[in-house]
Amino acid sequence: MSRVPTQSPGRRVVIVAGWRTPLIRAGGAFAREDAGHLGAAIARETIARSGIRVDDIDEVIVGCAGPPHDQANVGRVIGLRAGVPERVPGRTVARNCASGMEAITSAATCIEAGRGDLYLTLGVEMMSRFPLIMGERLTKFFARLSSARTLAARVATIASLRPSMLAPRIALMEGLTDPISGLIMGKTAEILAREWSISREDADRFALESHARAKAARDAGVMKREIVPHLPLGATPDSHALEHDDAIRDNQTLEQLAKLKPYFEKPDGRVTVGNSCGITDGACALILASEDKARALGLTPLARIRSWSYAGLDPARMGLGPVFAASKALREAGATMDDIGPIEINEAFAAQVLACAKAFDSDAFAREHLERDAKLGTLDMARVNPNGGAVAIGHPVGCTGARIVLTAAHELARSQKELALASLCIGGGQGGAVILERAS
Amino acid sequence: MIDVSGLPSPKNAPAVGACVRIERPEKGLARIVLDPPHRSLPVFDLPLLRDLDLALIEIERDTSIKGLVITGRDTRTFAAGADIDAIAALTDRESVARVVEIGQNLFERIDVIGATRPGFTSVAAIGGAAPGGACELALACSFVILCDTKESRIGLPETQLGIVPGWGGTTRLPRRIGLPRALEAILTGKLYPAREALKKGLVDRLCAPEDLLRIAGEVALGRMRLPRRSRGLATLFVDQNPLAAAVIASKAKEQVMARTLGKYPAPLRAIDIAARAARTSTRASFTAEREAVVDLATGPVAKNLIRIFGLSESAKKLKLLPDGKSAPVAAQVGVLGAGVMGRAIASSAAERGAWTRLFDIVPAALDTALIEHRADVAERLKRRKLEKNQAERAIDQLDTTRELIGFARCELVIEAVAERLDVKRSVFQALARQMADDAILATNTSSLSVDAIAADIPHPERVVGLHFFNPVKRMPLVEIVRGARTSPETIARCAAFALALGKTPVVTKDCAGFLVNRLLGPYLDESLRLFAGGIEAGRLDRALLEFGMPMGPLALLDEVGFDIAQHAAQSLHAAYGARMTPSAVLNPLVAEKRLGKKTGRGFYEHTRDRKAKPRLAADLAQIDPAGEARCPVMTDEQIAERAVFAMLAEAARALEENVVASARDLDLATVFGMGFAPFRGGLLAWADTLGARNIVAKLEEISRQSDVAARAGGPERFEPCALLRELARDERTFHGA
Repeated sequence: MSRVPTQSPGRRVVIVAGWRTPLIRAGGAFAREDAGHLGAAIARETIARSGIRVDDIDEVIVGCAGPPHDQANVGRVIGLRAGVPERVPGRTVARNCASGMEAITSAATCIEAGRGDLYLTLGVEMMSRFPLIMGERLTKFFARLSSARTLAARVATIASLRPSMLAPRIALMEGLTDPISGLIMGKTAEILAREWSISREDADRFALESHARAKAARDAGVMKREIVPHLPLGATPDSHALEHDDAIRDNQTLEQLAKLKPYFEKPDGRVTVGNSCGITDGACALILASEDKARALGLTPLARIRSWSYAGLDPARMGLGPVFAASKALREAGATMDDIGPIEINEAFAAQVLACAKAFDSDAFAREHLERDAKLGTLDMARVNPNGGAVAIGHPVGCTGARIVLTAAHELARSQKELALASLCIGGGQGGAVILERAS
Repeated sequence: MIDVSGLPSPKNAPAVGACVRIERPEKGLARIVLDPPHRSLPVFDLPLLRDLDLALIEIERDTSIKGLVITGRDTRTFAAGADIDAIAALTDRESVARVVEIGQNLFERIDVIGATRPGFTSVAAIGGAAPGGACELALACSFVILCDTKESRIGLPETQLGIVPGWGGTTRLPRRIGLPRALEAILTGKLYPAREALKKGLVDRLCAPEDLLRIAGEVALGRMRLPRRSRGLATLFVDQNPLAAAVIASKAKEQVMARTLGKYPAPLRAIDIAARAARTSTRASFTAEREAVVDLATGPVAKNLIRIFGLSESAKKLKLLPDGKSAPVAAQVGVLGAGVMGRAIASSAAERGAWTRLFDIVPAALDTALIEHRADVAERLKRRKLEKNQAERAIDQLDTTRELIGFARCELVIEAVAERLDVKRSVFQALARQMADDAILATNTSSLSVDAIAADIPHPERVVGLHFFNPVKRMPLVEIVRGARTSPETIARCAAFALALGKTPVVTKDCAGFLVNRLLGPYLDESLRLFAGGIEAGRLDRALLEFGMPMGPLALLDEVGFDIAQHAAQSLHAAYGARMTPSAVLNPLVAEKRLGKKTGRGFYEHTRDRKAKPRLAADLAQIDPAGEARCPVMTDEQIAERAVFAMLAEAARALEENVVASARDLDLATVFGMGFAPFRGGLLAWADTLGARNIVAKLEEISRQSDVAARAGGPERFEPCALLRELARDERTFHGA
């Protein structure tokens, strides 16, 4: 049985504001942005709309899985670019796919501990900016070249250059591969699909639904509550600010999805690019405060953070992370799945979310893995990702953790229930979950 | 000791020897520190020159001194050049000649010690600004070392004040950096930042302020060697080659003439001296400098330019709060309305370091604003006006919003929304609810009353007019419009903001058109009537260019836009009645959407090519004269007078009504707000050279002319106001007490 932290009254953590950019296909309209500028833009907007004074911020915490090479501590860069005073420190936190959630929970930890009262947190990822890396042989070639003293040595070195050495390493692909299990993320989803009997059609149907929900939410204007239009750096004359997530496929059909070849395991795999999360760029900012501070500043909380948890599991089955993490977070909250209204489970892969749903619903799984006598509960899939998820709008790795907490907070406000769950699986074999409570 | 008797000296001049001290940090090294106790920013006034002379006498006597460093009181302060006020006060040629000679001889002695004492090296060690005379002192030293800080600036701005560098600058700079670069520096009058000064060769080395005195000492004692700058063969083939110098000089003169139409003699004199500097003896060149300064400084142009410089300097005092401290510059600024004005104001604010939030309900207008802002910043980066990190910051500092939210923390909001009272009031009401009680609500209106906008806003003392001119980034004036209830603190904070944007503020009363548009109204309308009355468009514009306006009135109307001009004229008419009756000549053009530059056609044809000079439209003869009577036969001078006197009569009325506090403010506004011939010193300074009696006579003569007498409001426009008649009767001037 894990320890259950307690929140002292007044040190309860509330979300007082949160906004995000639209999520834009990598290599697309945001391709000339960088994490520092994009994060700062949404941070400034969130600060302005919240009405807080930047002087009241105790720290800036930014989740980013792959900070730009020239902005190792991108959290500090974002703070300063957002006009946060120089004396306010800033840090970057990483927990792979949960980096944005890590920013939120790090801030919450600080608030509970009384280390500060007001935090600017972000999740940001510029998937477009993951670089191509020189291969090892090419790196060595340049090292030899620079140490070649004589002309002859230089000529000889240059002559040793082979076309094959020019092949770059794709940082994004390598970043999405778990070094412990040696599996790329898609393969872990294939394992889950086989073990939990998720068919190709199940996965495709889920993907279709994700697009349909995202489209409906967009068309109904629901997302205006969280998206701020953004005109990216590098926008050409006559271009316009982007208002919507742009990876949603309006006319997606099951037939189209069925035509796609398996991407990770040919020929029999079930995971295709169509039923996996898209790769997008985006940033999401939330302002967290102690309940007392929020009250003192006259801020209206969006939601209260009731509990949160991270859990570790087999890296090769990392997709089940939400089940492990939700189990712990529910225990800490003293709640059951019956108390939960809206649910966000990040859609890394359609098959992975469906596997999670089956694990939530399995007594055997609960007994074997969750130190529980009975299953967590049957998921009402209508309440899971009601506005679609990463399959439709994409998964900017470091941003998503913050994005799903924001979405869940808004959904909670619309629902009749008292609690909401935001959870995701984390490459490397972890899960993360945050339980939100209606702010009174 | 130099003889300073009879020359102007400041009243609080300190005792002999107090302005300069000599430090001897180590054997063989002397340090001359310019530290006059009576000046927060040292200038080379007579007490300082006198004490510098004493210091040099000591250096001359003490032959053990092998190294000399000349520096300021700290690494942010050197000296501001010659005493401009004193020069302006001199009227007799002999006194000017003496002042010039004193400086020339003093600085030359530094050079002479170097030539006569083996191993002697002099170093100017500068931090902060070193314009004019300060730069000339530096040029007389063997080496110049400048702090690599953003406050550091060095150059020779004298021609901008109507004189030439006369303390050896016009002679030494071409010898030091070659004729082409020297002419560029002298003719633009540019004050170069540290890196650029090094690149251009004005200085020999940069260093951190903390290292300045140490490094200067090392160089002076020869322990650290700096390369002698050499132009190599260029010295021989260009600078000392009479033919090359003549070609360069004539090219430069051609450019100056094209720009100034010969109204400004100083650049031409400077070119002559600089072109010969490398080939003539120092003595002869100094004589030429002296003669030029004597001629120029005692002439009207330099006096007027120096006066305007003084006016713009004193405009900086507007930022002082009632307690004497400088008002804080708003760090967070809101701008409402992303039209041409709003987005340029927002972009300027963001570029100058304010966090700026721009609102408009039209998303595309916001997109345009951001794209233009980023393009401007990229351009400034390309031209090295900004460093990369500054450019990035400037881009970060402009945000846009489609909703009127998020302005709670702004200290100043400027609205440039539609010119409708109800719209402006409602945005201010909405802002007043979310902003602090002391946040300033400024309107950029040009046709509505500040008081009417402020009427039911809580805390109306923070409501004010902040009237920018189009194009915002180029026009240097901002009118701060004081409403009946506007507080002095609000005025000071607005002035501080305008100054931070690099603008010159002038405070006006809340009357229709405020000052500049009120004066431009009759001027432009009179020009239109001249055009409709048969004066050929090209001739009309040339006549006013010749008078000294920066562009002809019809060209200006093209820039402004006919619709805007028409609207402005109508609101002036509504406010002031008959004398502002607008000509109908623009009406058909506006109706057919021929609006000037923005539609590609007005009086001129405008092409997309920015470099191409606009040509007069071919069909001007077909424009309907709208019932205007034919003008009598007029000379070019009379044409210009007609337009300018229409403005002058209105200026006298405005002064009478205290629209601005003084004739000085009015002059400043005309020069900075409409480019009124700076060499004439501003509208009323020019008027004073004519005399009130002549002005009255001229106005009466104009109103009797057949075309003016015949039209509605014609005689009223040229009717001399009571103030003018009073001045004429008492033979007083606008600027007289």
